[in-house]
Formats: sequence, structure tokens, C-alpha cells
Amino acid sequence: MNKVLGNKKAIALFVGPAFILYTVLVMVPVIWSLYYSLYAGSPGLKWEFAGLKNYINLFSDKNFLKALGVNFKYISVVVIGQVGFGLLMALMFKFWLRKCKTVVRTLVFFPVVLPTVAVGQLFAKIYEIQPNYGLLNSFLSKIGLQSMVQPWLGQEKTALWALCVMDIWVAMGFYSVIFYGALLDIPDDILEAARVDGASGFQLFRRILLPLLWPMVITSTVFSFSGTVKMFESALALTKGGPGAATKSLSMYMYDNAFTYYKVGYASVIAIVIFLICVVGSAIINKFDVKDY
Amino acid sequence: MKKRIVAALLSALMVTGLMTGCGNSGSDAADSANTSDAPAQTESDAPAEGDDAAAPEADAGSDTADAAASGDFTGADPQLEKHIKILTIWAEDNDNGILLNKICENYQKDVNPNFTWEYEMVAADNLQQKIATLAASNDLPDMFAYEAGTPLLTLIEADKIVNLSQELEKIGVMNYLNEGAVGIMKSLSGTSELYDLPLGLNAEGFWYNKALFEQAGCEVPKTWDEFEEVLTKLDAAGIQPLSTGGADKWLATRLINAYAVRTCGNDIMTKTANGEVSYTDPGLVAAADKLQEWSQKGYFGEGVTTVDANTAGSMLMSGKAAIFYNGSWFTQNLADESQNPAGKDGIGFFNIPIADESISSATSYSMNCGNILALDKGKYDDGTAWFLKYFCENMGDLAMNELSTVKGYTYTVQAEDMDPYTLMVLDAINESTEGFGWWEAKMVSEVSKTAQENVQPLLNGDMTGQEYMQSIQDVYDNQ
Repeated sequence: MNKVLGNKKAIALFVGPAFILYTVLVMVPVIWSLYYSLYAGSPGLKWEFAGLKNYINLFSDKNFLKALGVNFKYISVVVIGQVGFGLLMALMFKFWLRKCKTVVRTLVFFPVVLPTVAVGQLFAKIYEIQPNYGLLNSFLSKIGLQSMVQPWLGQEKTALWALCVMDIWVAMGFYSVIFYGALLDIPDDILEAARVDGASGFQLFRRILLPLLWPMVITSTVFSFSGTVKMFESALALTKGGPGAATKSLSMYMYDNAFTYYKVGYASVIAIVIFLICVVGSAIINKFDVKDY
Repeated sequence: MKKRIVAALLSALMVTGLMTGCGNSGSDAADSANTSDAPAQTESDAPAEGDDAAAPEADAGSDTADAAASGDFTGADPQLEKHIKILTIWAEDNDNGILLNKICENYQKDVNPNFTWEYEMVAADNLQQKIATLAASNDLPDMFAYEAGTPLLTLIEADKIVNLSQELEKIGVMNYLNEGAVGIMKSLSGTSELYDLPLGLNAEGFWYNKALFEQAGCEVPKTWDEFEEVLTKLDAAGIQPLSTGGADKWLATRLINAYAVRTCGNDIMTKTANGEVSYTDPGLVAAADKLQEWSQKGYFGEGVTTVDANTAGSMLMSGKAAIFYNGSWFTQNLADESQNPAGKDGIGFFNIPIADESISSATSYSMNCGNILALDKGKYDDGTAWFLKYFCENMGDLAMNELSTVKGYTYTVQAEDMDPYTLMVLDAINESTEGFGWWEAKMVSEVSKTAQENVQPLLNGDMTGQEYMQSIQDVYDNQ
């Protein structure tokens, strides 16, 4: 084995095809985007060299800054929600719902396999106000909270949070299964020993479970982060980016620029910003991955 | 040694491959147009006319004018072998989809057995994106649905589509197009020549629920003041006066347009697009304020920005709202008994009430030709021209026979059992002496998107009329 892996030609043979595929499928488009970002217009229609103009325009573009703000709010709430509720669910499976955990686990995981458009339609019905009250508004109305009845998706102050709730609901099942798997790997005698030493429930979680689960928390956060940075299809299915631009993410703004405004060059700059957010964000999250917790 | 030679050969192959890839992407658009056209030409022409014919045809493909000039279109169809691709937004069993497939079928059956066609549909929302992508790769379909106005202008400026004024004159079918429709389309693209074929001739206005009007003791309003009175009366009677598709946005901006045109003149939006009048003109700000005022008075009911066009329409038909602004295409829903509980006579139509006859007359209507059809310049040849001739000559009658609708072509038959709602629309179209466009018709896509997006904060009261118009002006200034 050592002989084979010591042979540079053999290494080249094994790595080569994958490396070429990766270069063609991943690196070439990224470099292509960089090249496009120096142009104005759309290839084949109007296509002129613009230098760094697209980059300069970016910082004075109110719509871009607003979309960036939407992305940050969405990412911070949804990542914490998905990972937090996922962890909570996993703890519930492990400690409270021992008997019916299989049924609950299946139910909680179910939304993960639903198509986003279907989930969007489902939540649009839940939040509905006209022509009939949806589930949420009729519930509020029934319990005497008529003043709380409102167009959840139709006003700026609630639309983004309504979207966040949907996306947390969809993905928390996925993270709960990951955490549950990690919890099963923790030997019961460690927990037993802690209990004998008089650790309370919270202390057990804080001092024993969380440190042991920490690598999984980091992995899940990176997963959730990279999923939420892309924020596109769920917002499109539920609110179409509205009302106004209240739920319009960077990806949606990039799409508008490329395919509606015929500004592929400018859209490429936004793509690069999304790429940078991904890289920097993942790096920051990995900083928390302390080996000796 | 052998290994080295093989490695060197493979490396050379890879480098060549990469260079070929780069070469294609960087090359002139016209080159790739010829490359992509070549197989299509050979495929369609070779079996019919042999190798000799293939060369001149290939040349003709690159120069549309020569191709058409070479043909004489007065005699019988020469039955050229031709395969065309049609890209639209209608399913094959729906609306224009029925007509397009039927006309191809008839042409193949009755005129040219060597004609074949391929029909593809995309969602309306994806149309612009799909066409932009195809245009960029020089692979537009022979015939495709598109949006009139500024989106089409982009293709005209890029020299991607056929100049139909010239071609229709050459093949002698210009007189088959309804003059009104031609006028509307030219004015929408702002060109003296025609570049698109109509697939509709629509008038827009207010549809109202007759039973609710009767219940509140309202008459059909002729002036804007009367219209406001009607709204107040309906509201006082506990009836929701208006419904609109705030989620789809364009229906709400149509209401701003209605007031703006009646108070500032039919050409106000053309003037703003040309820069003669600012979008922040007090007249336009007042129009935006009017929409907000109605919304704040609760005329649209709760959560107007969550209501889509279909829901708004069904609210009118089911008596949950009294008035709904929409175009004559709405007759399709009205004529469908399963959708319309109000029945054959339950819904009426009136034009946008006037504010001052001298500014905008009572017989001027908001009119348009719906989504239009354009033809790819690169693929246009004699075969397409013969099909186009048949298309223009027969579309008017076909639309009347199949769907009882006017599509912007002259027709000889009268549909015998025409739906009362279709008749209502025909009356309006016949009565009209002047047409004007919709709110976004003259706006470039970015301005248009801003105008539509921000109408939601306007309806919600998060933006004032002044701020709404300023947001449009800002984007306009950046263009």
C-alpha cells in the first residue's frame, strides 16, 4: 500500500480525474464570475467592459444593502432556531419521549422531505387573512385575541419572521436526528456518574452533554449557515420577496439583476459577495471548534 | 519513453480542449449564430432540395432580407420542408396554446404536409429569463411569446428579431392585422416599424357585481366623483367596495395608472418615460396617494398585499367584493360557470371613470395586445415566411371559431353563440377612440420592478405616495 501511495504517478492517477472535474465544475464558474463582474450588461445583448464600476456601485446600492440586511437577520434567526430546536428535540427524544420517540421522530423529520413549494403553500394558508382566515388567524380570533389577527405575510414587520418560522419548522427535524445520533454515542455510565455526583438537569447538559456534543453543534451550524446563506426558494414560495423588498435576499436580488434587468455583470458581483459571506461565515463558525472544550 | 509520448499527447489534447472552450465563449456572437444555424438548415433543406440547395439556403439564413426577397409569395404554397420551434407561456389545451397548435395542425393538414412543429411551454414568470438566456446563446426559437414594450425593445435593439413591417408587406398580409392592434404594439415598443404579432386585443376597466350595486343603491359611475361616491356608499352598506391582487402587484399599480391617466392625460406615462415629466410630478404623487387612501379606508379589506389576482377575481364573482379592475381576459373566468357563481348576467363592466373630459376622454380605454409573438431573425427563412402568411390570414377566424375572442387579426365569421361577457368586451373595443398603456408599459425592467414592488409598502402605509414615486424616479435616474 505504502508503495502505491508513495508513487507520485499513482497519486496523480487517483486524484487527477476528480481534480479536473472539480476544477471544471467549481473553480471555472467562480473564475468566470470574477471575469463577468468586470462587465456591464448581459452577454449576447449588451456587453461592455466596465472595470471596477460594478464593485463601486455596490456600496451605494440601497437595494443591495437592504437585501444584505435581510440575509443577516434571516441567517442569525434561522441558524439559531434550526440548531437550537434540533438540539432540544433530540434531548426530548432521549430523556422524555422514550416510549413514542420513533413516531415523534418520524413526524418531526417529515417536513424535511416535503418540497419547498408545497411547504410554502401550506404556510401561506396558515397565515392567510383574505378571503378567509387561515389557521393562525382563526385560532387567534377564536381565543379572543382579535387584535392580534393580522396579515402576517402582507406587512413588513412580520413577513420575515413568518418566513423564519417556516424554515425553522422545515429543517429542525433534520438537525434533531443528527443530534439524537450523537446523543446515543454518549455512554450512559458517564451520565449515571454525573447524577450520582449530584448534577442537576441543567448542569448535566451544560457540563457533560454540551461539551460532548460540541463538534456536532459546530458541524450542524455550518450546515445550517450554508443552507441559509442561499435563502431563495422558500422566500420565493411564501412571499415572493415581498411585501416590497422585506423578504428579498441577496440571491433573489442577484437573480433579478441577472435575468430581469439584464445586468449579468452586476449580478456576478453579488454572487461573489455571497461566496465571500459563505467563506468568512464558515471560517468564523469553525473558530468556535475548540478541541479542549 | 512511450509513456511520455502518451502523456504529452494527452496534455496537448487537454490544452486544446480548454482553448476550444475559451475560444467559443469569447468569440463574436455572430460566429456562434452561424454555427448553431448550420445543422438546422442542412437538416430541413437537404432532403427536399438536395445538396445544391443547401449552400444558398445557408447563406440566406444569415441574411433575412435576401431570403425573403428571393421568394414570391403570391402563388400557391411551395410546400417547403420546415420544422419550427414555438416557445410560449400557454399550455397546449389553454387559451392561445389551443390556437397556436390548431393553426400549425391546419397548416400541415391543409397546405404544407412537409411542415412540422415543436411546441414548448414555460411559466410566465420564467419567460423573460428563458428568452434572455436563449438570446445570449443565439438559440432563440423560431417563434416565441414575449412581453410587449421595453422587454421587446431590448431584443429589437440587439437585432435579434424579425422586422415584421417589412416581412408582412413582402408576403402581402399586413392588411390581416387589426390596425388598432398594430398601433398599440408600435407605440408600446416606441418604434415606427412592427416587430411583433398580436395575440389578443384587450380593453381594461372595472368589473362590478350587479347584485351588490343594487343592494347598496349604486349606479354605474361615469365620472371620478361619482366613482368615489359609489365606493363610499358600498362601504357604508357593509360591502367591501374593491378587491385587487396586491400579492401579484400589477393589479394594484393599474389603479394608480387609472387615476393618473384620467387626471394627467393619456400620454402621461410616455412623458415620464421620455423624461419630459418627472415621476414625482404632483399629479402622479396624487395618484399614488389615492391608492393609499383607499387602502387606509379599508376599501380593499384586510391584508390586501396577500391577495392574489385569482382570489381577488373570485371575491368579485362570489359577492365578497363589489368592484375589481382587470382586463378583458377576465371574461374567461366569468364565462366559466364553475368559477362564476354570479352567472351569465351577474357581472358588469365600466370604463375608468373620467375626471375631466378635456384631459382624458370617456371613450379612451386602457388597451393592450397581451403577450405578443416575435420571430427569431437568425432562423427566419422562406419556410417560416409561408407559414407566417397562413398564420396571419387565418388567425382571426380561427380565434373566433375556437374561442370566440378577438386576437388582433381581421375576421370574417361572427361567432354565433358568443358569450355575453365577450360581447361586452367587443362593445368596449369598438367604442374606443383612443388607447393608453398600463403603468409599467414604458418603464425599463428595473424601474418597472421597483414600481411593482413598492406598491405593497404603499398599500400598507409604510411608504407615502411621494416616497413611492421618488423611489421610481431614483431608479429611473440611475439608468
